[in-house]
Amino acid sequence: MSDSTLVTTDEASKALVFKPKPPRPAPPSTVGVAGWMRANLFSSVPNTLLTILGAYLVYSFFSMLINWALINAVWEADNRRECLDLVGRSGACWPGVVEWLPNLIYGLYPKDQVWRINFGFLALIAWAVPLWLPGVRSKVAIGLSAVLIYPFLASYFFMGGEKGVIWTLLIALGVTGFVWVWLTTITEMRYGLPFTRVMAGILGASGKPEEAQRSYGRASMGALFLISLIVVTQWELPEVQTRFWGGLFLTLVISGIGITFSLPAGVLLALGRRSKMPLISLLSTTFIELFRSVPLITILFMFNTMLPLFLPVDVEVNQLLRAIVAVCLFAAAYMAEVIRGGLQAIPKGQYEAADAMGLGYWQSITLIIMPQALKIMIPTIVGNFIGLFKDTTLVSIIGLFDLLSMSRAVGEDSRWLGLFIEPFFFITLIYFLFCFLMSQYSINLERRLAAGARR
Amino acid sequence: MSTNVLAQNASPSGDRGRPVIELVGMSKWFGSFQVLKDIDLRVYEGERIVVCGPSGSGKSTMIRCINQLETHQEGEVIVNGEAFGSNVANNDLIRRDIGMVFQQFNLFPHLTVLENCTLAPIWVKEMPKAQAEALAMSLLERVRIPEQAAKYPLQLSGGQQQRVAIARALCMNPKIMLFDEPTSALDPEMINEVLDVMIELAESGMTMIVVTHEMNFARRVADRVIFMDQGEIVEEAPPAAFFDNPRFDRTQLFLSQILHH
Repeated sequence: MSDSTLVTTDEASKALVFKPKPPRPAPPSTVGVAGWMRANLFSSVPNTLLTILGAYLVYSFFSMLINWALINAVWEADNRRECLDLVGRSGACWPGVVEWLPNLIYGLYPKDQVWRINFGFLALIAWAVPLWLPGVRSKVAIGLSAVLIYPFLASYFFMGGEKGVIWTLLIALGVTGFVWVWLTTITEMRYGLPFTRVMAGILGASGKPEEAQRSYGRASMGALFLISLIVVTQWELPEVQTRFWGGLFLTLVISGIGITFSLPAGVLLALGRRSKMPLISLLSTTFIELFRSVPLITILFMFNTMLPLFLPVDVEVNQLLRAIVAVCLFAAAYMAEVIRGGLQAIPKGQYEAADAMGLGYWQSITLIIMPQALKIMIPTIVGNFIGLFKDTTLVSIIGLFDLLSMSRAVGEDSRWLGLFIEPFFFITLIYFLFCFLMSQYSINLERRLAAGARR
Repeated sequence: MSTNVLAQNASPSGDRGRPVIELVGMSKWFGSFQVLKDIDLRVYEGERIVVCGPSGSGKSTMIRCINQLETHQEGEVIVNGEAFGSNVANNDLIRRDIGMVFQQFNLFPHLTVLENCTLAPIWVKEMPKAQAEALAMSLLERVRIPEQAAKYPLQLSGGQQQRVAIARALCMNPKIMLFDEPTSALDPEMINEVLDVMIELAESGMTMIVVTHEMNFARRVADRVIFMDQGEIVEEAPPAAFFDNPRFDRTQLFLSQILHH
């Protein structure tokens, strides 16, 4: 017996020595690509037949699609008639979509002002990039500033018009925030210190006490704000009324605001519903149940047509704003229930441990409970975001030209009359792209946050 | 008779000063069911109390009342001369002196072992991060797992997790430690590593209240053993007297059931 597990020693008095068997590799037919295919595709005769049938169906669907969308497609024509004369209905007629592309993306936004939209979105990307850069430590502050300060900058870029005193200050705050984000990113990556500290050093406060360094830092931020303020007063953008907004741009504005608002509002509502204070709990529950039990479309109608009836005659609330508020409140109610689900999955022991260590309510919520609850609920939260993104198509009902209604307008153009399938196909790709990216990001996030659960 | 060196060292006869924990006529109900009936208990500095009793006897509820994880309805809970009351902020201050170790460890799974330990010092005591980490490392060394500091709790064995939980509680520099069945959720092979840490803690003079079924631990470490049943303290005595001459029939029955099988 060569691989015996027990080996006796010479002396009878000594205990037997236990030697565990070495592990052997798994049988080759069960591992690797071949093993996987054998187990999942060809495990039996019916299974093999189904695999072949499935492969055939997939092939014929995609060959049809590629024929229509690419091979038989018309790329140059003046109107839909020409397309039909060339290939009939066997190929797609893309020139209509290409011609309408700027409208599908920007709506009826004046052509010479479109750069403002591009600039606004690029600013957001630039604002968020430091979050993924190595060596940047103020990530929380940068993320918060993107949510709290960026919107002022963006809304002025998109809307333009006269700046009052308050708007001037807010825009200057936005500019300051943006400049600070990148300055602090650069200084933290190069010197490992936030911008304010580096400034304090440059101003000659490096040897001075903590409090002095802070005030130098604050002073440099104040100077930055003043410079921004002077710059901001120098330029003014022409006004573009929100009724010209449309297309993908409008869809992104509504869903972006809805998403950013719904998460914190949902957290507060969920906490409110679970609160031990009866009034807060009652109010939160009422709000959640009210907005959850009414279809979004009804809420949009209510806000659009009925809200003005309750307001004084001279108060006019912008139609887009009304739609955004409706979407936000609706999304918040749904998000609250998702987050409540996450809160319920946290064992009572976590609250008790936090209490026993002397953490206060908000400390245990922000440090212990929410990080775990949000992590558990990532798939559902992102699912809600995706749902919200697609639900924004409903604003077309109250007369806003989002991506969907813009694409419908193509087929109503006299030159492209009846051209509906191609624009729908195109926006399907856009919707898919955005939703797919969101879902991939959520999977990626889950994987990165799974560290604590890894054994 | 069993020897109890610790007990003789730590409880000098005569004046023992003011008790660090006083339960005065404490009663508690869950709905209409009375779980604790007029509990009176005094614990003096440096004392080690072991609480035992059948399940449902109210022993866990009693020690959870001491740091007010459960609120009592009648009587008083006084820690270091301060009574728990309706002032939440003051209650949190009283709690800082009491560390607690749970049956299910209750470590924070999303934080590393080191972060679990430094969380409360940083956020509750506002200690600088570097200082909190140094403190946490010294206590992880004391419970003999400094090498696990960067891991997440679920990557550790049950015994290691419970030792982290002890280190985490010690990081707040408590005057009193409560243990709620600290070894009941552990595999048999891991019980001793946790008990060893607790014995070391007892030898250092920490005031401890331990709810446990580990009778050998009680014999070796306790100054007093308390037996509870149906929400009452039935009997309290030094371990020698408690194990060798229990006065009540209920205690005798309990001891015969857990000691001889």
